Amino acid sequence: MLDVRDLTKTYDPAGTPAMADLTFTVGEREFVCIVGSSGCGKTTMLRCLSGLVAPTSGTVTLDGVPVDGPPKDMAFVFQDYSRSLLPWMTVAGNVGFPLPYKGLSKAQVAAATAEALAAVGLADRGDSYPWQLSGGMQQRVAIARALAYQPRILLMDEPFASVDAQTRADLEDLLLDIWRRYDITILFVTHDIDEAVYLAQRVLVLRRPAHVHEVVEIDLPAERDQLATKQLPRFGELRSHVLSSLRAPDPAVLPG
Amino acid sequence: MQLSTTGTAAPGEPAAAPPTARRGVARDGSRLRTADLGLRRLGLGLAGVVAVVLLLEIVVRVGLLPQAWFPPPSEIFPDFAGLVTTGELFVPLGQTLQGWVLGILAATVVAVPLGVLIGSLELAHRLTRFMLEFLRPIPPVALIPAAVLIFGSNLDMKVFLIAFGTFWPVLLQTVYGVHDVDPTARDTARSYGLAPRAVLLRVTLPSALPYIATGLRIASAIGLILAVTSEIVVGVPGIGVRITDAQSAGGAEALMYAWILAAGLLGWVLNGALQMAERRLLHWHPSFRPGGGR
Ligand SMILES: Nc1ncnc2c1ncn2[C@@H]1O[C@H](COP(=O)(O)OP(=O)(O)OP(=O)(O)O)[C@@H](O)[C@H]1O
Ligand SMILES: [Mg+2]
Repeated sequence: MLDVRDLTKTYDPAGTPAMADLTFTVGEREFVCIVGSSGCGKTTMLRCLSGLVAPTSGTVTLDGVPVDGPPKDMAFVFQDYSRSLLPWMTVAGNVGFPLPYKGLSKAQVAAATAEALAAVGLADRGDSYPWQLSGGMQQRVAIARALAYQPRILLMDEPFASVDAQTRADLEDLLLDIWRRYDITILFVTHDIDEAVYLAQRVLVLRRPAHVHEVVEIDLPAERDQLATKQLPRFGELRSHVLSSLRAPDPAVLPG
Repeated sequence: MQLSTTGTAAPGEPAAAPPTARRGVARDGSRLRTADLGLRRLGLGLAGVVAVVLLLEIVVRVGLLPQAWFPPPSEIFPDFAGLVTTGELFVPLGQTLQGWVLGILAATVVAVPLGVLIGSLELAHRLTRFMLEFLRPIPPVALIPAAVLIFGSNLDMKVFLIAFGTFWPVLLQTVYGVHDVDPTARDTARSYGLAPRAVLLRVTLPSALPYIATGLRIASAIGLILAVTSEIVVGVPGIGVRITDAQSAGGAEALMYAWILAAGLLGWVLNGALQMAERRLLHWHPSFRPGGGR
């Protein structure tokens, strides 16, 4: 459904590109994780995919339509979730405010907001303000906003990077649950290898400047469990595989 | 009193950010404790006022200050009470207030949209920067002779003067606020398909509002100074005219101070009203959040 071809982004014409000839495809209802070291261009990639910035060259196609602005069927959960929540709106306001622009009526907005908040376990916090919630709850509000938008594809940029381990595990399971229940494709950026292997059907290993170094198929059982899955020998193998792929010397780039 | 303290905010003082930028200092204490603190602060404040008034009274009665120029508070307050009870206070008060409201309104109506434009378009910013840097330091009172030539000694002249003087703080604060909008918040709105106009209304303006409010509070003080100045210097009707009338009447020094007191109280009330509106409208802002929000 998402087709990325030779995507290149150069911020500074004199310097090296942040993203170079990035090519991959994502199928309908897939859960794809993207790992890469800090600064390798993951956020740059997502911003190009979402149509927020134009790539220097290359194309992004969503369902056969070239992306040249934010597509209607896509939602983006930002790396810095607390700054993407608007402090002057309530939780419900934050979740619902994009919906009228999608053509939903007032009643539809209220219904979609309530459903999305219930899905992330915040049904009773709609009238709170984001700054009255904990970090993990704020992150769930950002996810609820994306869900209420009913996108067909969801881009997430290190969404769980700044919450504690327990909350993070809960949010991961919440996301898997949502992915199974809704008809949705997820592109999930992280630099946590465990998280990537645990969540994904496929892991793309990105190297700097952002290009796909390797694609790792995650052949774990579809049903994931924080304890059982992570104890599987196969989980350990995949984990080491991704890790070594991230670390392996790249013939094209000198180490340093 | 009020006039001299607010006078320190020079026209177009470079954009003072709101009390705390986003995610600033958290406030401690429960609502109850803050109410307690508020009462205590009010009590202390009143005690301070009473002490100063008493001191003035003594200093004048003892003869440390010449009584001819400094009537004791015990003479000023009855005169002020007289202004209130006879209703003499209200016409000049209304005239001064009218100039203040119209001037600030005129300034805001132009400065906010212009500030949004300058703040969001880099080209507009570059085009206007030097001109603004040049126009801003002109003391508004330097325009009084020109304004009298153009408008005559009337309300129009007063409104123009106030509008000119309050234009800069509102404009600069708006530019500042629009510049300071969190790019993540704007990108969020864009990624959900909001058109530029919708992004402006739903994200840019609300997030610049605390800055604009600060600009208005600065403008409020400047506006009152310019209102009374144009009344005293040019004779446009208002409190300022009554001050000069009382001064030249002979033997009415206490009345003069009563009118000065009225001007001070007006400034105090206006500032309080603006702060209350701010607190209500910006309750979500870190500097107004109840009980330790962040
Ligand atoms: N707006 C920008 N202007 C100029 N350079 C940029 C810009 N955004 C990113 N870069 C540069 O592009 C490179 C990739 O940045 P990017 O934010 O995409 O990395 P990332 O993989 O998301 O990193 P992290 O894991 O730390 O979030 C970095 O070298 C960064 O300095
Ligand atoms: Mg990033």
